[in-house]
Amino acid sequence: MLGKGGKRKFDEHEDGLEGKIVSPCDGPSKVSYTLQRQTIFNISLMKLYNHRPLTEPSLQKTVLINNMLRRIQEELKQEGSLRPMFTPSSQPTTEPSDSYREGPPAFSHLAPPSSHPCDLGSTTPLEACLTPASLLEDDDDTFCTSQAMQPTAPTKLSPPTLSPEKDSFSSALDEIEELCPTSTSTEAAAAATDSVKGTSSEAGAQKPDGPQESRTDDSKLMDSLPGNFEITTSTGFLTDLTLDDILFADIDTSMYDFDPCTSSSGTASKMAPVSADDLLKTLAPYSSQPVAPSQPFKMDLTELDHIMEASYQLSRAVRN
Amino acid sequence: PCSSRADIISTVEFNHTGELLATGDKGGRVVIFQREQESKNQVHRRGEYNVYSTFQSHEPEFDYLKSLEIEEKINKIRWLPQQNAAYFLLSTNDKTVKLWKVSERDKRPEGYNLKDEEGRLRDPATITTLRVPVLRPMDLMVEATPRRVFANAHTYHINSISVNSDYETYMSADDLRINLWNFEITNQSFNIVDIKPANMEELTEVITAAEFHPHHCNTFVYSSSKGTIRLCDMRASALCDRHTKFFEEPEDPSNRSFFSEIISSISDVKFSHSGRYIMTRDYLTVKVWDLNMENRPIETYQVHDYLRSKLCSLYENDCIFDKFECVWNGSDSVIMTGSYNNFFRMFDRNTKRDVTLEASRENSKPRAILKPRKVCVGGKRRKDEISVDSLDFSKKILHTAWHPSENIIAVAATNNLYIFQDKVN
Repeated sequence: MLGKGGKRKFDEHEDGLEGKIVSPCDGPSKVSYTLQRQTIFNISLMKLYNHRPLTEPSLQKTVLINNMLRRIQEELKQEGSLRPMFTPSSQPTTEPSDSYREGPPAFSHLAPPSSHPCDLGSTTPLEACLTPASLLEDDDDTFCTSQAMQPTAPTKLSPPTLSPEKDSFSSALDEIEELCPTSTSTEAAAAATDSVKGTSSEAGAQKPDGPQESRTDDSKLMDSLPGNFEITTSTGFLTDLTLDDILFADIDTSMYDFDPCTSSSGTASKMAPVSADDLLKTLAPYSSQPVAPSQPFKMDLTELDHIMEASYQLSRAVRN
Repeated sequence: PCSSRADIISTVEFNHTGELLATGDKGGRVVIFQREQESKNQVHRRGEYNVYSTFQSHEPEFDYLKSLEIEEKINKIRWLPQQNAAYFLLSTNDKTVKLWKVSERDKRPEGYNLKDEEGRLRDPATITTLRVPVLRPMDLMVEATPRRVFANAHTYHINSISVNSDYETYMSADDLRINLWNFEITNQSFNIVDIKPANMEELTEVITAAEFHPHHCNTFVYSSSKGTIRLCDMRASALCDRHTKFFEEPEDPSNRSFFSEIISSISDVKFSHSGRYIMTRDYLTVKVWDLNMENRPIETYQVHDYLRSKLCSLYENDCIFDKFECVWNGSDSVIMTGSYNNFFRMFDRNTKRDVTLEASRENSKPRAILKPRKVCVGGKRRKDEISVDSLDFSKKILHTAWHPSENIIAVAATNNLYIFQDKVN
C-alpha cells in the first residue's frame, strides 16, 4: 500500500480537522502507514548509529538516511504530532570540521510526502515497536491490532522532559532490584537516579498503571527468571543480549552533557535519553504473558527486545 | 562472511581494443586477462582470455587523523588508449589514483663488461677485452610498474575516474568534488566541481558518478544521489558548479513512497559510444537519455521491478544501497546491467526485447548456452521460474563489461569472473 503512495484518510472523529483528500483506503491502511513510517524511522536511526565501521562510512548512504529521517520528521511536524521527534545527532566521526553533521532541519527544497495531515490525535504513539520490515510488507492486518492495543505505549525516543515520574521510576527500580539483587544494581540505580534528577516529571498520561500491574506479576516474573533473563530475538538484525548488560553496565551520563562538537541546535532533546530510566520504564510492565488488549501497557518480549537493542546501540554510539 | 573476502571483484573493464580485460578486487589486486590470438588450428577456441598479469595496485592504509582505515579495494579501472608497446591503466581506491604501466619483456641483455651473468661485479683486473652486450630472447615476462601516484586530492571517497578524449587529462570524482588531472603532474589537480555546502548540515545530495564525453574533451556529466544528471562544459568557467544541462525526470506520483529518493539515486552513468546518449542506472531501472532532451529519458527499462514491494526489507538489510553498474555494447544497440541471485539483464533497444541470464557455476559449463531465466512475481510459479522470495540477495552482480566491438561480455559474480561469448555457428 505504501509503495503506491496511497492517500490517507483522516480520522473523522478528530476535532478541528477539515475534510481533506479522502483516501480510498480505510482505517487499517492509515494505521499501517504510520507504523511503517515509524519503523523506517527506527531502522534509519539504527543504521546511523548501529556500528562503528573501521573505515569511513559511506557519505552517500549517510546522506540518504538523513534525508529519510528529515522527511519523516517534517511530515510529523506537519501533522502536528504531540511529541517532537528528536533530531539525530551527528554520526560518530572524529573530524569535526568535515564530517557530516545532522543539524537543524533544512527543508528548503523538501516537499512533504503528503499535503494533508493525518492527525491521529493524542492516541498516536510515536514509537510503536520495532517491527521487522519484512512483516510490514506482508500482512496489513496485524498492525491494526497492535496499534489499537497500545495507544499510549511508552515512547522510546522521548526527550528528557518526558521522563517518568519519580515514583514510577523508583518503583520500577525496586522491581528490578528484586529480580536481580546485585551490588552493582544499587550503583546503577543511583547513577540513573542522579541522571534523571532535575528533569521534569511527565504528565502521567503515559503509563500510570504500569508499575502497579507488573507488581502483581512479580511472582510470575521470578518464576520465569532462572536462566531465562536472556532476551532472544526473532529478527535477523538484532543480536542476543542480556538484561544485565544494559541495566547494570555503567550508566553513561555523557549524553546529557552538551557537546559543542555536535549539532548547534543546542536543545537537550538532541540525544535520545536512552538511559536506564527509559529502560526501566519499559521494563516496568515487563511480563512474559502475551499481550492482552485490555492491558495496553504490556509489551511482549519481541518489542522489548527491539527497544532495548536500539537503546543499547544508541548508548554505545554515544560512548563512541 | 562473504563480504570480507579479499578476492571479491570490485571492477571490470575491457581496454579499447578488447584484447585485454582488467579486474580489480577488494584486496587491492589487479588481474589482467589477455585474449588468445585466434589460430587456424584450433577453430573452436575463439580467443579465450587467459591471465596476463597480476599485481598489487593498492595497499590498505590508515588515516591517523581520523583513526580510520582506508580500504585498498579497487573502485574503478580505466584504460588509456594504447600509444606504444606498453599498456597503461588507471586504478583507484577511495583516496588515491595510480597510473600503471604494463609491459612485456621477452629479451634480456647479456654480455656486460663489468658484471658477470649473475650480476656480480667482475674484478677489473680480469677484464682484458671489451664486448658489446647483446639482447637474447627470454621467457615472456609481463611486468607492471606504477608510473604515477595521484594522492591527497580527495577528502571523500572516489567513486569514478574517467580518461578524457584528449588523452592528456583525466578526472576523478568523489562524493562532493571532481578534480581534473594532467597525467604528467601528480602534485596538483584542478577542482572543477564542488558541491560541498558551506554548512555541512545542509548537505542533502552527493555526486555518485562522473564521466567525460567520448569525443568532446570539454564536456562531462555527473550524476547525483537525487537522480539528477548534470552536463558541464569546462569552457564555460574554471569551476563548473553551474551546469550547462540538467537532466531530471519528474517523479511519478503513483509510485511515491518513503524510498522514492533512495531508489532514484543514480549508481552509474555512461555515455554511449556515439556520444549522443547517456545511460543511467538507479536501483530499479536503467534509463537512456538523449543529450538534447533534459526533461525525461527517452527509454526506461525495468531491471527488477518485483523488488518494489520489498523496498522496506531491502532498506533494512542495506541492499537498497547496492550500486549496480550498466554498460553499452559496441554499437549502442544493447544495454546490460546486473541484478540479484547472480542474474544479469540485457535490453535490446531496437527490438525492445530483454533477457535475464544467470552467472553461476551450476548453470554454465564451458561452451554451454545460457538459458534465459525468469522471476515469478506471484501466482503460480512455473517449473523453471524462481520466486521473488527465493532470490539470493547476497549474490549480486554489480560489475559487468562489454567488449568494444564484439559480443563478448565479462560478468563479475562476487569473486568469480564469467566471460560469455556469442555462440559459435
